[in-house]
Order: sequence, then structure tokens, then C-alpha cells
Amino acid sequence: MGDLLYLYGLIPTKETTEQSFPSFKGFDNERELYPIPVGDTTAIVCNLDSGEYSEDSIKEKINNDMQWLQEKAFHHHETVLTLSKAFTVIPLKFCTLYKNKDSLTQTVQSNQAKMESTFELLEGNEEWNLKIYCDDKILKEQVSENNPAIEAKRIEINELPKGRQFFEKKKLDKLIESELEEEKNRVSEEIHFQLKEFVLQGNVKRNWSKDVTGKDENMTWNSVYLIPKSDVEPFLEKIQQYEKEMKEMGWQFAPSGPWPAYHFSSFS
Amino acid sequence: MSTVRETIENKDIGLIDILDVILDKGVAIKADLVISIAGVDLVYLDLRVLIASVESLVQAQQGNRTINSADFDQQREALTDATGQPNKWQD
Repeated sequence: MGDLLYLYGLIPTKETTEQSFPSFKGFDNERELYPIPVGDTTAIVCNLDSGEYSEDSIKEKINNDMQWLQEKAFHHHETVLTLSKAFTVIPLKFCTLYKNKDSLTQTVQSNQAKMESTFELLEGNEEWNLKIYCDDKILKEQVSENNPAIEAKRIEINELPKGRQFFEKKKLDKLIESELEEEKNRVSEEIHFQLKEFVLQGNVKRNWSKDVTGKDENMTWNSVYLIPKSDVEPFLEKIQQYEKEMKEMGWQFAPSGPWPAYHFSSFS
Repeated sequence: MSTVRETIENKDIGLIDILDVILDKGVAIKADLVISIAGVDLVYLDLRVLIASVESLVQAQQGNRTINSADFDQQREALTDATGQPNKWQD
């Protein structure tokens, strides 16, 4: 059987003439990556044996072989990341495969206009992620002590008969919880707003549960930013400053990057 | 003195961060083989990632000893329970 083409990413052809293409091992850990120029866009691919890598066998691996998925996911990511350090890259989804060069070429050609505008957006910019965590305990105490509504409620409860106090205290706990969530959101939103000064675009993502992060602290914010390279350092310094000022209140900041522009290369 | 950037750039990235982007956010253009992981639910994915990490944790804690499968099963059940997902592993 013939070979499949695994597509990692797309780069502007003009950038490939300025430097030689680095050497990478491909998805099967044997064959090398190579560029296929299609007009102004160059596809970065590797060949894969279509017997070994059929649609079904890949699906089977993804669903049942965690170690394989882990290894290949890291491979895909690291390859695209290394490419993105040398070129402006539109990163492709994991396991984007073509049956032959013609089919790949056709697809690239039919998306040429969208790619050009995406290259324009990405050139000279980097994607960074920021996750903010909060140790609820410290902030909860603060909210509980400094919120006038909560304080008033507490005094009111103390004057009630014992039996009623129990239920009213439960209600108060709920009130504190919701005030705490509001406070965390307010603070995170404010930080997001302030960070926008350094960035071209910023998107807010879904927070991950503790099961996912494995951390004791709750994730209160998860966002991605597209930042001009020269503004990355001040952006990160600003985050470092937040960390210093807010650490004692239980806040943690986890920036990561630069990422290939996964969130800002959308074709839709 | 290294810049803030250099410090952060060299930090290890977790598998879950990578899967989150390459399965969900990488550009999807028309391909011949569509390896879509139908409705990748982060929670479901996490369960598998967690199991993998528990596995390696158990290995690390026990040094060269073989993994105690009863322990592992127990942890796996706890995780399945915690995420509220159906158990996809047959005992």
C-alpha cells in the first residue's frame, strides 16, 4: 500500500527560502519531515505507512492505548512548537492525514486566502496561556470578614434562638460561597482586562476542575493571548507583579508559552 | 540574569495542556482521514490521563516493584467515581 501524508502545519513559502528546513523525525519515528510548497503556502508533512496507520488503527490506539496517545501527542506538539520557533506556523489538529500529495495540494489551494490572512495575523506574534488559581480558604476568610452584608447577617444570627441559628448559618455559608465566587471572578476579570493592554487578542477558556489539574487550589481563570513578541516580556513581568502582590491572599499565576498559535489560527 | 520569559519557557508542559489544544484547537481543514475523537469531553479525557498518571505515580512510589493491581484498580475506581463517568474498564 502507498503512503499517507501526515500534515503538521502550514508556513508561508517566502519564509522557507530564507532558511534551510531543519531535520525532524516523523510520526513513525523513522522517516523525516519535509516541506511541500503549494504556491504561497508550504505544507509540513511526513510519510506514514498506510498499512500500519489506517483510520481504524489510529482510532483504536487513541481510544485504548494511553501511552501511544501520550507519546504521539507530545511528538505532534513538540514538532509544531519547534517549527513555530523558526517560522510563522498554522498548527494543524492532531492526526490530519491525506491519502496522497494531490489531495493535500487541493485542500491547501482551496484554503489559500484564509491562510494568508491567518499568516498576517500570526506573524511576529506569540500565543501565551494564563491560568489563575486561588486557595479559597484565605480569600473566603477575607470575604467573610470584610463583607458588610455578611457581617450584618452574622450579628443577626447570633441573636436568634439556637435551633434557628443552625439553619441560618447554613444559609450564611451559601451566601459566603457565592460572594467568594463573585470576588474571584471580579479579580480575574480585572486582571484579564489589565493584561489586554499588552496583547492583540485575548480569549477566555473554560476553567478546569481539580480532577483535571490535580491541584489543591481551584482554577479561577483560563485564558489565551496573542501577543507581539516584543510585548511578551512586559506581559510576563506584569503577571509576576500580580503574583508578588497577591500571593499572600492565596492567588497563584501559571503562565505558559509560547505555544504554537492553536487558538488564533481558526479558519472559521 | 534570565528573563521572566526564559524561566517560563523552560517549564514542562503537562499532557493535558497539550491534548486540550491539539485535539480541540488545532486548525481543522478537510482531510482524507478524519480521526475525529468524537465529542472529546475533557472530563472523559482527563479520566484517562489521570489513570495514566496514577499508574506512573504508583510505579514511582514502588520503585522497581511490580504494580499492585489491586491498589491500582482501587485508585482507578475512585477516579471513575470522582469524575462521575461510566466505567470503561472491565474488571
